[in-house]
Amino acid sequence: MHQDKAAILDQLKLIFQDTFVDSNLTFSIDTSRDDVAEWDSLSHIRLLTAIEASFDVQFDLEEIVNMTTVATIVDLLYEKLN
Amino acid sequence: MHDLPWLLKSADDFNERCARLLNHASPGAEARLLANYALSINQSNRLYQTIQQSGPEKRAALSRNLIPFRLGIVGNATMDLMIPSMVVAALRNGIDLEVIAADFGQAAQEAFDPASKLNQSNLDAVLLALDYRAYSFPVNEPGYSGKNNTVLDAFKYLQQIRESFALNGKMICIVQTLACPPYDLSGNLDAQLDGLLRKSVNAFNSILTENIKKSADVLFDVAALANVVGTHQWFDERQWYMSRVPMANRYIPLYADYLAKLLAAIRGKSKKCLVLDLDNTLWGGVIGDDGLEGIQIGQGHPVGESFLAIQQWAKSLKALGVILAVCSKNDKAVALEAFQKHPGMLLKESDFAVFMANWEDKASNVRKIAEILNIGMDAMVFVDDNPAEREIIRIMIPEISVPELPKDPSQFLRVLCAARYFEKIDFTADDAQRNAQYADNARRQAMLQKAPGLTDYLISLEMKIHFAPFNETGRKRIVQLINKTNQFNLTTRRYTEADVLGFEKSDRYLTLQVHLQDKFGDNGMISVVICKNANDDYWEIDTWLMSCRVIKRRVEDAICDELVAIARSNGIEKLRGYYRPTEKNKLVKNHYQQLGFELISSNDLEDIWEIKTEHYQPKHPPIAIQT
Repeated sequence: MHQDKAAILDQLKLIFQDTFVDSNLTFSIDTSRDDVAEWDSLSHIRLLTAIEASFDVQFDLEEIVNMTTVATIVDLLYEKLN
Repeated sequence: MHDLPWLLKSADDFNERCARLLNHASPGAEARLLANYALSINQSNRLYQTIQQSGPEKRAALSRNLIPFRLGIVGNATMDLMIPSMVVAALRNGIDLEVIAADFGQAAQEAFDPASKLNQSNLDAVLLALDYRAYSFPVNEPGYSGKNNTVLDAFKYLQQIRESFALNGKMICIVQTLACPPYDLSGNLDAQLDGLLRKSVNAFNSILTENIKKSADVLFDVAALANVVGTHQWFDERQWYMSRVPMANRYIPLYADYLAKLLAAIRGKSKKCLVLDLDNTLWGGVIGDDGLEGIQIGQGHPVGESFLAIQQWAKSLKALGVILAVCSKNDKAVALEAFQKHPGMLLKESDFAVFMANWEDKASNVRKIAEILNIGMDAMVFVDDNPAEREIIRIMIPEISVPELPKDPSQFLRVLCAARYFEKIDFTADDAQRNAQYADNARRQAMLQKAPGLTDYLISLEMKIHFAPFNETGRKRIVQLINKTNQFNLTTRRYTEADVLGFEKSDRYLTLQVHLQDKFGDNGMISVVICKNANDDYWEIDTWLMSCRVIKRRVEDAICDELVAIARSNGIEKLRGYYRPTEKNKLVKNHYQQLGFELISSNDLEDIWEIKTEHYQPKHPPIAIQT
């Protein structure tokens, strides 16, 4: 599946909104874990599960550990999908 | 099965409906509708958060018509992720679940300390969410020859926790069997050699499954669940290493649903009746079009064998105590021909308590079936291959369970079984007899039409009643009745097996289990009474419930006569009866009045009635007492 980074970002936004019930969620390519109060270790697992299901990919343990910004996630997904 | 395929996929507007839930005209009904979709863990979380944000008034509205259950959780892993899914799954199964979770890894501490959070929280049960990592099995030490039997040691450790919670917290434990992780050391040797994990886990599960029958605790067979899923899927190393999540996140909705069904079974809310379509559900093809020779059912034909498996499933459920009914759009004679003449059929007409085949709409037929059987529609499951029929039933009768079915009939059975509608925590003689009892009842109803008057009818039944205090043989059926009786139930108090055992052993309680026979057959245990000796002056009737099958037969008159006689012989001067109104028990609002009691106080919550035993006039209904 060939997807450009903009499309990935759009799809990711929906997943973030779904995972973090906060409707005032600020989301952009610059968003990091520190910017989202709800993004703790447990919601990280929920986020991971939702991203893997939605994009049909699987992340390595190390990739999961390093997934602390939206930019990192987009780059990872772009690699896996192309 | 992680996506709960028997449930409808959630609507696109799920998020919006959650946002509007608390302002909905009927938030309780809407919440149940939302919970009935196959929700992902994020969706469950959203619904859960919405419910948690409601104030006390909305909370009451949301949990009306639900049965409360207070569940504690101890575990050796992170359980927090599961709680939203558990609450939503409980809602889906008619339970208002409150979860009190202990801190991580505190199972022993919570159990052994009488002042612990869980022991002080007045819980109905505690879930011991312990997996293989919670026990001290040797981790793959081949030829382990330590002086202790480590499996027995592990089991003893579990026993201590169970006994402590029972003693200190007065609650039952929900105990998990162990899933075995997919790390076999050698291969086939792993199940055979002491010191290898698979052998230990198999032995542990075996001991637990045998032992738990002798207790009030309840088994949660996680090993079986992981088996069905496949342990390569069930265990997710990344999530365990990251955050001590015990099973892959994607299986949490399934785990939660099975736990909720177990809680519902403890509360007597499992489904009781299976309503089956015929064409393309119990056989391949449409009998009206294809004729007897054209339908596919029986051994030797692939499609026929798929449907035979469904018939076998239904027949086995009947033996388990589930009532079977047919609801088909067909000419009745044409439909019956298959049962009477087709050699490939397994089910017979006599397997069904009700057989509805006509051209009316199915919703009306289903309602009629519920009426004849005198059961709630929330106790029924409707199985039909036709998505349009399923949709109409879902809209017209939201309380009934309607599983989605895949297109391929060879896959029906695995989905229907995965849906686990007929979960049970025990199996009693009454269960085995249930279909016979419903058939007997149908015959009694027929007799009622012929008898000239009610008294003559009652006499003609030749009823025999038997009274006994609570005992071991009756205990499980007593617990069943206490938890599932809604209509003829004066106070609707729900008790677990541990509570019932307490009443049995206490000399401050007078207990009665009542059995009824008549000339058509044995009705089994049909009523339960619990009286508390308040102060040697009067007895409080804490619980008085009766099966709907024997309403309007003056059985309550016979029970009251017996109760007063026992009270008098114990020198008790007064009996106090209580009526606590619910949605379902309006039937018994005037129960005590009809027995001759006087109303001494009344408010929204409770009516209190009293009678002096010396003033009581025995009713002497036409029921012989069997000693």
